[in-house]
Amino acid sequence: MNPAQFTVDSRLDGDTAVIYPKGYLNNLAGESLVAECGRYTGKGIRKIVLNFGGTGLINSIGISLLLQIIEDLRTIEGTVCFSNMSKFQVDTLDMLGLLKHLRIFPAESEALQYLGAGAV
Amino acid sequence: MPFNSIPAIDFLNRESELAYLRRLPEVKSDGLTGNVILTGGRGIGKTELLKQLYLRLFREEGCTPFYYSFRTANLKGNYFARDYFARFVRQYIAFLRKEPSLAENVSEPLQKLMPLVSSLGLEWLLDCMADFQVHLDNNDLYWQVIAAISVPVTAARKGGRPVFVMLDDFDAAENLYESVRGDAHGLTSLFSEAMKNSLCPHVITGSAAALEAIFADQAFIGGVERLRLGALPDDLARQLFRSLLGKLRLSCPAEESLQFLNLLRGNPLYIRNLAAAARKMQKDNLAEKDLVECYSMDVSEGETARYWSSVFSRCTGGAARKKAVVKLLMHSVEGGGMEGERLSKVLGLREAETGAALDELQASGILSDQEPLLQDFIRGLFLREIEGRTAEQVREAIEKKYSRAKPESCFELVIPMDLNAELVAAGAVEQIGKNLGLDSDFLSFLQLALIEVCINAIEHSGSHDRRILLKFISRADDIEITVESAGRPFTLDSLSAVPAEEKLRGGQKRGWGFRLISGIMDNVKVERVGDRTRVILNKNIKHKEVL
Repeated sequence: MNPAQFTVDSRLDGDTAVIYPKGYLNNLAGESLVAECGRYTGKGIRKIVLNFGGTGLINSIGISLLLQIIEDLRTIEGTVCFSNMSKFQVDTLDMLGLLKHLRIFPAESEALQYLGAGAV
Repeated sequence: MPFNSIPAIDFLNRESELAYLRRLPEVKSDGLTGNVILTGGRGIGKTELLKQLYLRLFREEGCTPFYYSFRTANLKGNYFARDYFARFVRQYIAFLRKEPSLAENVSEPLQKLMPLVSSLGLEWLLDCMADFQVHLDNNDLYWQVIAAISVPVTAARKGGRPVFVMLDDFDAAENLYESVRGDAHGLTSLFSEAMKNSLCPHVITGSAAALEAIFADQAFIGGVERLRLGALPDDLARQLFRSLLGKLRLSCPAEESLQFLNLLRGNPLYIRNLAAAARKMQKDNLAEKDLVECYSMDVSEGETARYWSSVFSRCTGGAARKKAVVKLLMHSVEGGGMEGERLSKVLGLREAETGAALDELQASGILSDQEPLLQDFIRGLFLREIEGRTAEQVREAIEKKYSRAKPESCFELVIPMDLNAELVAAGAVEQIGKNLGLDSDFLSFLQLALIEVCINAIEHSGSHDRRILLKFISRADDIEITVESAGRPFTLDSLSAVPAEEKLRGGQKRGWGFRLISGIMDNVKVERVGDRTRVILNKNIKHKEVL
């Protein structure tokens, strides 16, 4: 686990925002991640990739906020993909029965490819 | 017999009770109560206290001791009367002559003692014996019982010194009968006259519940005091065990291993039986593992098992009834409710059958007195009688329960209810896991479960001291984490695990914590300790999870 201070970076790749949450994803961190997503959707971006390569542990509140992001995107008929998740993170979501509700890709490039193919 | 008591040096921590009882003749002569009901858990030493008291009085001249045990008595009225009368006469003469063997030789007919009685100048006793013989010849049960019960009073009056009467397991006297069981209720009330006599203090033992029922009778009201024998304190329990092992020439376990004795709850009978089991199993250089083995043997097929089997057998009739009672006992050990109607359905028994078994168990004190050892005995009985397990399997099951590897390490930590404080707890788990060589995913899950419990305490406890106490115990095959905080109660029931689909459909995004905790850990227990909530998490460690 990487309990480092949470930060969130992002970049725009065409019409897709790629967001990099780093550190421990809890309530405060989750809220800043939701805000970062909101910043893009506010500009009309409807495709988001969340790259979890730098994310350590995600607690239950962090998971709740990820579900919030999915719902926000669904409201504007957008799509969010998860990428670069560790086995532990995937197993955690599986434990909660959430896998079938999420789009998860091993690599960021695969997520971008999926969204580039017109998936919204 | 009262002479087969343990050495006085091994009779620990009962001096104040002995002193209290020894003063009873004086108290009674002052017109005060002077009769005592002696209660206490089974095996706690009530009979032994009577025997020690008897021996001390026997060596002195102040009053004549008389001991009678109803446990082994034949409860058919005429047998009882003859036995009670004969034992009194023998013990009385033995006391005067200071010859214990006279009391112990119960096979010798009373008539043979007559020359001795005569030589002692006890003409009144010869008269009593002659009168008693008349009642026997007339086959008059009522007068036989009256004559037997009142002979200590006559002896006290005629002999010029009080007679101290000790009635052991007196509750069994309720079962005295004339021809068939149950045909002579109320014979116990005949003892009330003897008890009222100012020269005859009585000490009576038995099951507290049964004695209370007997002494609620109008004939006894106001005539008795209560004295409860408590357990031996831990240090004296250990001292007794060490002393017994010393006598058996077995070396004593290390102090740390003796903590196992706490399981026996300071009960001298259990402690003696455990020492006897160690001798029987030829154990020396006892380690805790050996104590567990001895205990398992004792509680499943040793002296303690025999003791409880004998108590238990008095509550059961035929084989079918016995099985019903075993099921009922097991049900109570597992914390099941004891309401008759519901119980009958749960156990598949007729209501009347359940009711009768319940009444007898309650009177015997088994239901109200379930210390850990008794629970183990009941579990063993259930395994053997209901599940058909062998004695060896029963022993193994009990051993397994107590043969946990001892903690390899134990850490305690206090964290404040501050932002990200749960990460400090998670860090501790990480280090402990590394020490044990656990793989990183396994550790991450442990950290996540702990974080969830801490978050729950921080968010919902409303704790006034805003602190969380953590305890980590790591063993070879298990990690146990205890999280304790003050504040509002928290139960697992309050955190229902709603299916993911339902949560998402209902827009319910919070409340995943419990699902994570229960999904990750093998066992989650929540206890309330005073104003604190204690969550205990257990996780088994399998070989593949160790690097």
